[in-house]
Amino acid sequence: MNTAIYLDYAATTPVDPRVAERMIECLLPTGEHGNPSSAGHAFGRRARALVEKARAQVAASIGARPENIVWTSGATESDNLAILGVARFHADRGRHIVSSRTEHKAVLDALKQLEREGFEVTYLKPDSQGIVHPQQVSEALRSDTQLVSLMHVNNETGVINDIAAVGQLCRERGVLFHVDAAQSVGKLPVDVQAQCVDLLSVTAHKAYGPKGIGALYVRRQPPVGLRPILHGGGQESGLRSGTLATHQIVGMGAAFELAAAEREADCARLRVLRDRLWQGLAAVGNVELNGHPEQRVSNVLNASFHGVEGESLQFALRELAVSAGSACSSASEEASYVLRALGRSDQLAQSSLRFSLGRFTTDAEIDMAIEAVGREVRRLRQLGNAT
Amino acid sequence: MSFEVSSALDYSATVIEHFERPRNPGHFDPAPGVIAATAGRRDQGVQFHLSAQVAGPVIRAARFEVYGCPHCIAAGSWLSQRLVGATLDELRSWNWREAADALQMPAEKRGRLLILEDAVRALAEAWARLA
Repeated sequence: MNTAIYLDYAATTPVDPRVAERMIECLLPTGEHGNPSSAGHAFGRRARALVEKARAQVAASIGARPENIVWTSGATESDNLAILGVARFHADRGRHIVSSRTEHKAVLDALKQLEREGFEVTYLKPDSQGIVHPQQVSEALRSDTQLVSLMHVNNETGVINDIAAVGQLCRERGVLFHVDAAQSVGKLPVDVQAQCVDLLSVTAHKAYGPKGIGALYVRRQPPVGLRPILHGGGQESGLRSGTLATHQIVGMGAAFELAAAEREADCARLRVLRDRLWQGLAAVGNVELNGHPEQRVSNVLNASFHGVEGESLQFALRELAVSAGSACSSASEEASYVLRALGRSDQLAQSSLRFSLGRFTTDAEIDMAIEAVGREVRRLRQLGNAT
Repeated sequence: MSFEVSSALDYSATVIEHFERPRNPGHFDPAPGVIAATAGRRDQGVQFHLSAQVAGPVIRAARFEVYGCPHCIAAGSWLSQRLVGATLDELRSWNWREAADALQMPAEKRGRLLILEDAVRALAEAWARLA
């Protein structure tokens, strides 16, 4: 069966055709295929100019200056560079870090590595709606805390943390603040200056750019202090060695410029569709929304279906490309740790689905999704009626 | 190290067929000649409910209800056909491997068939009490 309806934009987005067009120009013999570090000839200099234009585009979309942007391979590398880089650089200043239980694995596993290296990490528990409150961060800070790492938008629930308030208190307490903003660009305003962020991870492929390229915002005034995790040619001021991937970078720049320009219109349209989807799902009965009903990005809907086993639900709905909390469907060994951190039972975490809408989602697709979910949930509930 | 994300969603054609078109879903209400049994727990992810009409030495018709993964639903459906014509002794000696083979169950799912075997044994006990 062909998967007809894509509702997994929080996992990844297709590349916007306008972005793809810009990227292709950099790959062909007639285009800017030079190595941006080859300053000795025109091919290299033209490629460098495109890289710097993209750097300015990405910087502008998050309220930063171009010199604050370090290219990486994606948000996972950005998170690792920020967390490992800061912790190791400042290890003599303190070995305590504050984060949360519902961070992406790219953050949690980098923190686990630091724990193996002798650091101590406090993992804050979000409330039942998925929010980590600034007051919790404030109470967790110690004299030896050197870093707070908190996501802006949770990838499973879409719940938004108050980054500006956390940034403000970190600034007042002299603690560095890293934000995983992989799910934010194109959905929420991001302004690293106003939000007092020292390091911010972004990726292109969640915002209609290509996979394999991301960036880390690094505050320069005063300098954050960061130890690189990759060593080599000394690109990106020595913070991230490796030949710059011109086509990927150009794609990210174009995607972020579009994301900023079209954010309000995209979000307004998706909010209407997302809310209609929720009304349709809720009509089947015994469905629970996971995460805060309002403090949430406009394109994500995570719901648990009572009385339906998760793997069967996902398989029954294989005409929809959605993400499931079911352990069998993902590479993880357990039901969604995010939903369990919100206090959901294993059973409800297993029977959860994340619907994430995007730029190319249509009204008709939402109607089909509502129809399919209603039909299959009723069928599966009936199959298990007396058990 | 395996580069496969997961094999759990690779269902055999037989599993898909039973999942899409389950045979004999539902249950028989309590009545003379009706036996029923339940095994497993919903909060542990699998529960089977079997019921059957007994006619003399054999089962005349069977129904199943399942809370569980597609393999479990298929196993319940498959068993509901397999039980027709079965005797009490056959029920008592029924082994989960027969369902595993018929449905080409992956190794990591076979534990769930032990719960189905528990349900079949409990059904046999209900039958014995009836007799």
